[in-house]
Amino acid sequence: MSITLDQVSKHYGGIPVVNDVSLEIGDGELFVLLGPSGSGKSTLLRAVAGLTGVDHGSIALHGRDVTRVAARKRGVGLVFQNYALFRHMTVADNIEFALRVRRMRARARRERRQELLRLVALEGMDDRLPMQLSGGQQQRVAVARALAHKPEVLLLDEPFGALDAKIREELRRTIRQVQRELRITTVLVTHDQEEAFTMADRIGIMNLGRLLEIGAPHELYSRPATRFVATFLGAANLFLARRTADGIRMGAATVAAAEPATDAREHEVVAVVRPEEIAVAETPAGLGGRFIASGVVDEMVFSGAVERLRVRLANGAEAPLLATTDAAAVPCVEVTRTQHEQRAFELHPGQSVALGVRRVHVLPTPLSSFTACDASATAAAALAREPLLAVLAGRMKTRVAVRPEPRLGAADAAPSAAAPFVGATVISCAPHAAQRTEWLLRHGAAEVLVLPAHAAVPQRVLIHWMDEAVRRATLAVSASVLRHLPAEAMYLGVLPEETRATRRPGLRTLLSARAEARELHGLELRTELVFGEVAPELARRLAEAPAQMLIVGVTDLTRFAERFGPLIDAGRWPVLIVYRGDASSGAPAP
Amino acid sequence: MSLRAPSVLPGFGLTFGFTSFFLSALVLLPLAALVVAAGSMHWSDFLAVILSRRALGSYRLSFGASALAATINVVFGFMLAWTLTRYEFPGRKVIDALIDLPFALPTAVSGIALTTVFAQHGWIGRYLEPLGIRVAYTWLGVTLALTLISMPFAVRTLQPALLEVQRDLEDAAETLGAGRWYAFRRIILPTVLPALLTGFTLAFARAVGEYGSVIFIAGNLPLKTEITPLLIVIHLEQFDYRGAAALGVVMLAMSFAVLFAINLLQSWGRRRQVRAAH
Amino acid sequence: MAAARTAEERADLATRPGYNSWVSVLVRWLFIAVSLAFLAALLIAPVATVFAVAFSHGLEAYLASFADEDTLAAIRLTLLTAAVVVPVNTVFGLAAAWAIAKFEFHGKSVLITLIDLPLAVSPVISGMVFVLLFGLHGWFGLWLERHDISIIFALPGIFLATMFVTFPYVARELIPLMQQLGNDEEEAAITLGAGGWLTFFRVTLPRIRWGLLYGVILSNARAMGEFGAVSVVSGHIRGLTITMPLHIEILYNEYNFVGAFAVASLLTLLAGLTLVVKNLIERARAAQGR
Repeated sequence: MSITLDQVSKHYGGIPVVNDVSLEIGDGELFVLLGPSGSGKSTLLRAVAGLTGVDHGSIALHGRDVTRVAARKRGVGLVFQNYALFRHMTVADNIEFALRVRRMRARARRERRQELLRLVALEGMDDRLPMQLSGGQQQRVAVARALAHKPEVLLLDEPFGALDAKIREELRRTIRQVQRELRITTVLVTHDQEEAFTMADRIGIMNLGRLLEIGAPHELYSRPATRFVATFLGAANLFLARRTADGIRMGAATVAAAEPATDAREHEVVAVVRPEEIAVAETPAGLGGRFIASGVVDEMVFSGAVERLRVRLANGAEAPLLATTDAAAVPCVEVTRTQHEQRAFELHPGQSVALGVRRVHVLPTPLSSFTACDASATAAAALAREPLLAVLAGRMKTRVAVRPEPRLGAADAAPSAAAPFVGATVISCAPHAAQRTEWLLRHGAAEVLVLPAHAAVPQRVLIHWMDEAVRRATLAVSASVLRHLPAEAMYLGVLPEETRATRRPGLRTLLSARAEARELHGLELRTELVFGEVAPELARRLAEAPAQMLIVGVTDLTRFAERFGPLIDAGRWPVLIVYRGDASSGAPAP
Repeated sequence: MSLRAPSVLPGFGLTFGFTSFFLSALVLLPLAALVVAAGSMHWSDFLAVILSRRALGSYRLSFGASALAATINVVFGFMLAWTLTRYEFPGRKVIDALIDLPFALPTAVSGIALTTVFAQHGWIGRYLEPLGIRVAYTWLGVTLALTLISMPFAVRTLQPALLEVQRDLEDAAETLGAGRWYAFRRIILPTVLPALLTGFTLAFARAVGEYGSVIFIAGNLPLKTEITPLLIVIHLEQFDYRGAAALGVVMLAMSFAVLFAINLLQSWGRRRQVRAAH
Repeated sequence: MAAARTAEERADLATRPGYNSWVSVLVRWLFIAVSLAFLAALLIAPVATVFAVAFSHGLEAYLASFADEDTLAAIRLTLLTAAVVVPVNTVFGLAAAWAIAKFEFHGKSVLITLIDLPLAVSPVISGMVFVLLFGLHGWFGLWLERHDISIIFALPGIFLATMFVTFPYVARELIPLMQQLGNDEEEAAITLGAGGWLTFFRVTLPRIRWGLLYGVILSNARAMGEFGAVSVVSGHIRGLTITMPLHIEILYNEYNFVGAFAVASLLTLLAGLTLVVKNLIERARAAQGR
């Protein structure tokens, strides 16, 4: 492996700018780090280059640990956005700089310089000064200069940012060529998704300091695992649908899913439909069983090769639900059609149409939406406006529904509505929160979040599961939450005091937990093992520092309020309970 | 009236006229008087004055000490500019502001204060005395005084030049394998070289004509610690206007030469920074 | 002054592998120490001495220095000189800046060179040229004698010499400033029908006010502190043509150190005030985004 990053973290003033990033890049691969500004990608690149230190984790280049090695001894080449050419030196001197430092003889330097100039198609420019060159030429010189000393790794920090579109394309091609010819491992940082698509062998998408997903461009595009990636890589329509045995139910219609179900039970999911995968016809009949909704064409924009439409969905109980933050907004769907489709069926604004889907991709994330629940409607509405909840929902781009339950927590009462609890149910930290939580879990809620008033955005999230059976679900939920919070993730394993002597099985579970978190859920997890009783140990760790959150997975609801009462009712930290078991009996799932 | 580009704005006649009149009356006329006065001398008399032993001694001191002071200022000024632009320490902002003090402080005040500090029993003089270093009433004192008054010119020229060195350049050098000293020698120094030279020249120009801060510390012994401006004053007090004018012309010629050099250096420095050629 | 390394950049560098080696740290502290020592010896010690000696015999002796009639006359003359010279400099500065910054014409560089000239000329020469013009054997010497007008060895000479030395300051502050600000707003005002004076007062003046203020303050400090040029033209007539700097010289040569430094302390305070105002102006400018 050419570059190996293991749980690399960097903090600026307490906030993780790079948050537990682990990555492996192969020899000769062109890897693109893609993300919005502020996602930490440039910082990560500079850390690999050695221009900035890391607070945690390790960096290895070609098997050699370079975490504490100075940049000049790492054997990397770095290309900057603003070229950073030495303006008082000619092109030749710039390129030969690294060789001069290494005391290469003049003749050898000259040869290498000619070789590099040919490589970047700048032959004959030896005696020019940087100020006499165009931007694109200057960047080529920068690339040649970075390659002079035959580095093992080439790093590029948004190298095309300062250039025009046309030059950008040319340069992209040049770099791709150079990279292939030299077979040098390359990491390119950019915020331009098109650039990532055209250049990358694999893309790593970063947001809020975390590496969210890695994969080949078309993989990430057609099968994103997270909301962020789905919407960042291209336009996407996100729906809240229900996954059933028959398929995906969107509104009143049911369509087949692109991938088979991973979870046996029926639950709410987030379905991604790309604008180009929506078919438009005059009537539902013309859609061959893939119909999902009717609507009216609101806006039409001609965009060269495609036509972009915005279709306002007809309101009603049958319409599919959009996963938006704003409940009051008019539900609109983005559609793009090729010229071919346009000619087949011309449209104009205001026309009524029927929409169908060709391909639906279900996001594997378990948290599809939030439902704020309280005894009265006003209390529930107030809960829905809690800052932490608003932040989470906003970043997840999902809505917070409001559901009053007058008999919330009452021992023998049943929920007021027949509709099942969807998404994560949120309750406030009022008295009897533990009781209310148990009530919700017994009546079908799979996730319950107990939210104290004015809870701060957590800087650390503690994770625990009571039973291996609920491990996967807990990790999935944790990963989902942590993708949207710049917080540290820590799994706390708690074993009974008596087993302290035989610690090995405990450690093994830690390692497999960490491995599963990384591989299946894309989550970097710190782990720790303690001995004692679960609830008191968790409470003790939570009390250590402010701004923390607890996620705990359970399978057994017996004496729930008793066991978890102290943790939940303490009211100082948000607690998210993940339950996978037989709701009616409260017993663990078979 | 000179040719000018047409403009919407009014007031050219008024302002240009006033400015020209003012400059003619206050600058050109007096300077003309100087040149004429010197020119009215016989060649031999002229040369006798400007090449007298006393005059030569004063040139040696004035120009020599100025050059030395300018050099000191470039070296220490570079250190100061570097420290102020790159390091953080308590009181940095205050120190930065203090650099301008010699600019605003009257020369007579600097003169008597420096003399007192470096006199035999002064705060610093008392430590140098046992070492056999006499500052007051020697060329060393003259140099120190000139260093003080020309210090801001060096530092304020170097600070922007150092700031201009982009951070990226040093990062690039680092990734290419250069150590800090190598990067300093090959990247930073060449970039600030024009500023170093400009700083030297400005400091030199300022120091050469200095009078007030020097006469207190110099001791003013002819041939030893007498600066040229003092020699001019002595000629004036003896009503030898022509002699004074002759020496004045020499100093003026020197000033022009230095001004010219400054302009050349500044345009050279500018050309090195200029972006696109055309 | 432009921004130095930001705190973020410094934090970044501090964590860089290999950066905080003992060599770097040593060099850093060495530089800081040497720089501070240099300033301490050359700048801070002298300034401190001024006040130390001025107050060396106590507050009473300090205040008594100003009770002296000659000292008061010197202070009055210095203030008068500033009051005459600074407004003239300001008017000239504004006029020159307007002519040079707003218009394109041949001979601009000649004008600029002439404006810069006094700064390159020794103050002694600055004074001498006026003696050559208005002195007894000067160009206008006889004419002045006949009409019983004194310029040299009298107030007008002092004013002229001081003006010669200090007039560039306002102009040099305003010219680059106005060049940088450009003509757009003034041209807009003119096309909207405003007259020249109105445009100047309402459009230009507000935009240049900080630079103008600094130029005036600096010009004032230099005018009050000028020594060499005034020394040549003044004739040192006690009670009549002695400014504060000249008076300092006299007191010092009479070994009246407390007196000399007491007067010097006033000028030093003025210099300090000038610096403070400069910093306030810079902060105001930065806040304005200019």
